[in-house]
Amino acid sequence: MIRFENVNFGYSEKRPILKDLSFHIPKGDFVALIGANGAGKSTISRLINGLLLPTEGHVYLNGKDTLKTPSSTLARDCGFLFQNPDRQICENTVKDEIAFSMKVQGWPEDRIKERAEQVLETFDLDPEWFPFSRSRGERQRIALASVLACEPELLILDEPTTGLDYLECIRIMDYVTGLNREKGITVLMVSHDMELVQSYARNVIVLNHGQIMGQGPTSEMMKNVDVLKKARVLPAQIPELALRFGDEFKDVFNVEEMLDALRKKSQRGGQV
Amino acid sequence: MNLLNYVPGDSFLHKLNPVTKLAAAFMYGIAAILCNNVFAEIGFILLMLLISATAGLFKRALFLTRNLLFLGLIMFVIQLFFVRDGSPLLVIGGVVLFTTGGLKSALLLSLRVIAAMLPLMLLFAITRMNDLCNALVKRLHLPYRYAFIVTTAFRFVPIFATEFHDIQDAQKARGVDFDTKNIIRKIGLIAPLCVPLLVSSLKKVDVSAMSAEMRGFELRGYKSGYKEYPFAARDLVTIVVLVAIIVATVIFNTIW
Repeated sequence: MIRFENVNFGYSEKRPILKDLSFHIPKGDFVALIGANGAGKSTISRLINGLLLPTEGHVYLNGKDTLKTPSSTLARDCGFLFQNPDRQICENTVKDEIAFSMKVQGWPEDRIKERAEQVLETFDLDPEWFPFSRSRGERQRIALASVLACEPELLILDEPTTGLDYLECIRIMDYVTGLNREKGITVLMVSHDMELVQSYARNVIVLNHGQIMGQGPTSEMMKNVDVLKKARVLPAQIPELALRFGDEFKDVFNVEEMLDALRKKSQRGGQV
Repeated sequence: MNLLNYVPGDSFLHKLNPVTKLAAAFMYGIAAILCNNVFAEIGFILLMLLISATAGLFKRALFLTRNLLFLGLIMFVIQLFFVRDGSPLLVIGGVVLFTTGGLKSALLLSLRVIAAMLPLMLLFAITRMNDLCNALVKRLHLPYRYAFIVTTAFRFVPIFATEFHDIQDAQKARGVDFDTKNIIRKIGLIAPLCVPLLVSSLKKVDVSAMSAEMRGFELRGYKSGYKEYPFAARDLVTIVVLVAIIVATVIFNTIW
């Protein structure tokens, strides 16, 4: 789905951001890009949909070279949810906002109407709402609905839950996870929230100063505290606690597993 | 290159009082506007390039001149076709396209625009906006509110430019094709750019106003600033030289 081949990128020659970066994300995966500020996470996400172009190397999205394909064409394959929904929303009603992306991508009118109604219902949105006066969470939901209305094969989420309350965050992430599992949409999430990454991502890429420090299943990467610390990332609490408890807890990854392990330990009369 | 960025330095121009710099830029502009001779206008532009070189700003001044040339070119074309004084210079099929008067007027006006605007644009390269604002309040007792409006307007230009770029990216990611050559489609694409920009600007206004009020904006007067902006001998010399330039221009106009 996404292939980076020896990609170099910098906003100026003196300040390279990505250095000889190569990786592959297969179709249907749910990957989280993690790393400290300036590690190159957002740059990678913008290189995928052609908003930025590599200074050296190639980025392929669905086999299309981003150097040869305009971003407006890549947008048909790739939906992008920005951290700030206000940069995206431009229509006076929610229904027009949902229809906007489909219109610019040249969908037929009858299909737009049908799909917009479907999406409004799925996301529990009132078609006549004035988007700018809604809460931050609702605006983020409107933006996501508008992106997903076009049925992209890849969804990029750039810090999708910043500024959202817990319930709105769960609502958005559960919907995205459902799409990933049921419809096989590939998801790439950029996040600083390790609890969110641990709960939803299947695989993780750890970045530091534009280079990959580690890549693998979330359950393994979250326990690789050395790599996370080198990448200046604070590990999620449960895996770190499990590591501190010792070998007996080495397979513990989430709250349920931690409770089970503690119960078993106390039944055996052991102390933590 | 950002046209409004301050370039740090220790030159004669940098050391001038901000009020003097503002006055000098306006006086130079006035002299250029009063001037009625094409060659003298070119002289004004060359002199300004020379002055900017003394402050290490020659490249910046050249870049500005190149940008202003584009504006000058638009003025030139408008004047050339609409001023009908003098004798016909280009006649096609019996229709006078432009005249000698039109050509002279177009050339003079476009050069005048460049010569008058160049010092004002260079003012930003040698003056921190905060210093200009504070000096206007301190020395001229301009109400802080008005000085703040002016400086904030300039300070927000790069912020809006970044915001505009980000909005453009967000809309491109949705499939909006800004590279289209179709003019009608291009005009239609203004809304997805301007509406988010307007909304974010209005939100910024609210936040900025609250932030300013919390820092005692209303209480600020001309005695509030701790920095002093004294006038020195070089300020007097600069103003005298500029008065001389204006007088020389007026005399030059009458005898030429």
